[in-house]
Amino acid sequence: MKDKVLAAPLNGDLDAFERKIPHLSNALSRRIDADPESVQQGLAQLVLTIVELLRQLMERQALRRIDGGGLTDEQVENLGRTFMELDRAMEELRDHFGLEPEDLNLDLGPLGRLL
Amino acid sequence: MIELLAITDDPVAPPPPLRLVPAGPVAVVVGPAPEGEVDAEALWDRESLLEDLMDERALLPIRYGTRVEDDAAAAAAVVPRGAELAAALERVRGAVEVSVRAIAPEGEEAGDVGAVHARLSGLAREHARHDGPEPLRAAYLVDRAGVDVFVAAVRELQQEHRGLSILCTGPWPPYSFAEPR
Repeated sequence: MKDKVLAAPLNGDLDAFERKIPHLSNALSRRIDADPESVQQGLAQLVLTIVELLRQLMERQALRRIDGGGLTDEQVENLGRTFMELDRAMEELRDHFGLEPEDLNLDLGPLGRLL
Repeated sequence: MIELLAITDDPVAPPPPLRLVPAGPVAVVVGPAPEGEVDAEALWDRESLLEDLMDERALLPIRYGTRVEDDAAAAAAVVPRGAELAAALERVRGAVEVSVRAIAPEGEEAGDVGAVHARLSGLAREHARHDGPEPLRAAYLVDRAGVDVFVAAVRELQQEHRGLSILCTGPWPPYSFAEPR
């Protein structure tokens, strides 16, 4: 993987940015609770959250690689947990809106509302 | 099961084991659905695939973990949105996503992120500000040929705004600009 940092801050403090990356579970629950009004909107928000968080995860990975090369066992474990939380959140969302997994796949699909 | 990676309209076949499934005016890049745990390596592998594809063609990245039964299901999901997707591809063609975040250095007040965002927006085809704990968290859709100029502008802004720490990453597939309008 190429170096993804195009321009670093003057003080070189990348950790400060990493600390800003939220825990997925918090972000998800906040978004879902924030606007359960319509299925479309709820789903769309979740998708946007996921897309943004995925990119942030990527950034975080990139920062870790630069800082120390490689991930610690703990970070790998966190990432696994993050995705379990994501699965759980999707399940809750399905229950909440009375959707089958297939529906969600269709609604959440590739590009957000697209598939 | 197959995994969907990206929407494209380039007819050139991607490197195996990836394949192209035609879907109306566009096509879906699909691959075998990876088994096992999701971990950092799996994410990077996927990101790498997308970036290699992105070097050669315009694409819209598909959400991580999107799987369908077979080629027919992939095509069936995409065909009804074919025209919209073709338009969305035009939006991102020849451009990449660059991410910028700005925070206050430890123990200091945040500087003027509005000016930073305004300058960078002027160098981008499109921009998207995201919610977040940082004073500025934004994605910019930048012409490939303009990335160097964009990054140079970020460096200048960092020099001008000592009250901010600015981090710029990329180039990314157009994650923030993939949604059809």
